[in-house]
Amino acid sequence: MTLTIVLLAAAALIGIGLYGALSQQSFVMLMMGLELMLNGALLAVVGFWSQSLGGMPEGQLMAIIVMAVMAVEMAIGFALIVAVYRKRQADMTESIGTLKQ
Amino acid sequence: MTALLVLAVLATLLGGTVLAALMDRAALPLAALLTRQRVETEAPDRMNRDLSSAWYLALAAIGLSVVPFAPGLALIDSPVGIVIWGSCEALVVVTVFLHGWSPNAPFPLIGAYRYAAIGLPIMLPSMFVLIAAALPAESLSLIDIVESQREIWNVLRQPLGLPLFLVVALAMTLRGPMDYADAADIATGTSAEESGAARALWQVARLAMLVSISAIAATVFLGGPLGPVLPGPVWLWLKTAALMALTVWIGNRVARTTPDRMLTILWVVLLPLSFLGLIIAGVMAL
Amino acid sequence: MIALLALFAVWTGWRVFRVDSMVRASFALMLSFVSVGAIGVLLSAPYIGVATVFMMAVEMMVMAIFMVMFMMNPAGLNPMVMVHQHRLSIAAGVLAFVGLSAAILLSPLPSDPVPEGSDVVAQLGHELLGPSMLVFETAGVTLLATMVGAVILSSRQGWFGAADHGSRPPDLTAGGDPAGRQPGDGGGHGHHHHGGH
Repeated sequence: MTLTIVLLAAAALIGIGLYGALSQQSFVMLMMGLELMLNGALLAVVGFWSQSLGGMPEGQLMAIIVMAVMAVEMAIGFALIVAVYRKRQADMTESIGTLKQ
Repeated sequence: MTALLVLAVLATLLGGTVLAALMDRAALPLAALLTRQRVETEAPDRMNRDLSSAWYLALAAIGLSVVPFAPGLALIDSPVGIVIWGSCEALVVVTVFLHGWSPNAPFPLIGAYRYAAIGLPIMLPSMFVLIAAALPAESLSLIDIVESQREIWNVLRQPLGLPLFLVVALAMTLRGPMDYADAADIATGTSAEESGAARALWQVARLAMLVSISAIAATVFLGGPLGPVLPGPVWLWLKTAALMALTVWIGNRVARTTPDRMLTILWVVLLPLSFLGLIIAGVMAL
Repeated sequence: MIALLALFAVWTGWRVFRVDSMVRASFALMLSFVSVGAIGVLLSAPYIGVATVFMMAVEMMVMAIFMVMFMMNPAGLNPMVMVHQHRLSIAAGVLAFVGLSAAILLSPLPSDPVPEGSDVVAQLGHELLGPSMLVFETAGVTLLATMVGAVILSSRQGWFGAADHGSRPPDLTAGGDPAGRQPGDGGGHGHHHHGGH
């Protein structure tokens, strides 16, 4: 029962995150959508590890990997935003319709 | 037992705050603030303006409740006590930021962003010195860290730890050289638009955080409740009070530099220093 | 308790895209992460849970700093709606939720909870520096590469001159005047309006 609740919440977080990542125009808000999806993934991993793996330590390792992915996403994402802003002075997705100079 | 520990945490927080107010002469006119009228700003974020002091106070209480009051006895007996304290530190930065952001006024906002820029890099040396202290204990639990100091205190075993942690303490309590949030050069920064009881509560929360972080420092570096003759809690209180006095004294003695220079100091001097301390502690723990 | 926290995590996650300012949005996201961390603690993963709270508090603070760099409205207390392809996004989000929920509800979930009293934090440590060391070290090297990459990407000075050399703001309307700072301005003048063209 606990696992079902946790996984449903994780599914809802992933759904909301997907909505945000697709719909937001501002880069920062778009990244929040991605973070929210990873949040759902983290919740699902922790739920599965706790309720159905019998305490296998690899499950926790998986959660650590999800957190590392979050850190990478965040750092590279913001670095890209800075790079794009320097080149185009843009902070909205619509402003970079082209990858050309 | 739990009730007794709750009582101990609350009593320590209360007594410590009063003591801190006495040590810090600047905080004495607190009572006079209570009668002042409240200031209103245009379109503030009401929830965060009214609650940020309460959150600051709550973080101080949570931080204090992972501290063991006697060997093997803490209110929150968690295997990851030191990470809980780390989360409290990170949330303090968030709280101070919200406190400055919520009035929707220039000086508080400048204070908030300045503090965020200083508060984030200070997290790294903080975590490095705490992890270095956890290495000889082979545990993240503060209870085990106290046990590991039976023979020699961490302040002697890791001489870099306590000075670096005192810098963190200055930053977490918005004090002296690390006070980039509420400093006089931007008209008391995040509190600039506050008056009356709200401002007094914010000052009280700062003093409570001083108690909390001093207790953590006493536990991690000075052996916490360990000591001869006197009972555990008394030793903890004595050490905490000594560290509080030291922090207040440093805060009054050392001048503040510009934020950009402080950022350079943090990233170029303090961070490598704390990393060096971690490496030495790691090699010694092998 | 877990159900309440899960509900709170979802609600704050939803608020992220419904509040008026980016500061509120990022701290709503932080609350969502904090409640996921609390669920982790309740589900006997204390390290993962508390570390999530720690990491996300720092990360959302970074978000706030980036907002002052890129937002038109740094205080962020004014109304804000900035969405595109709204219906498609709603459909995709609902579809993802419904699909995942169906998978959760229709499949038999194994039940084998963590044994009582097992020292999960020590187990995690032994796993990280034992059998899964390669995975852990790979993650470490990836993070190092991330640091290098982030510094290079965001650095202003580059091999072929400054990164913002000849930078031109995007057009306000298609083919119209550029918005904001002009290349020759040198910046620092704040709002520079180019009316009367």
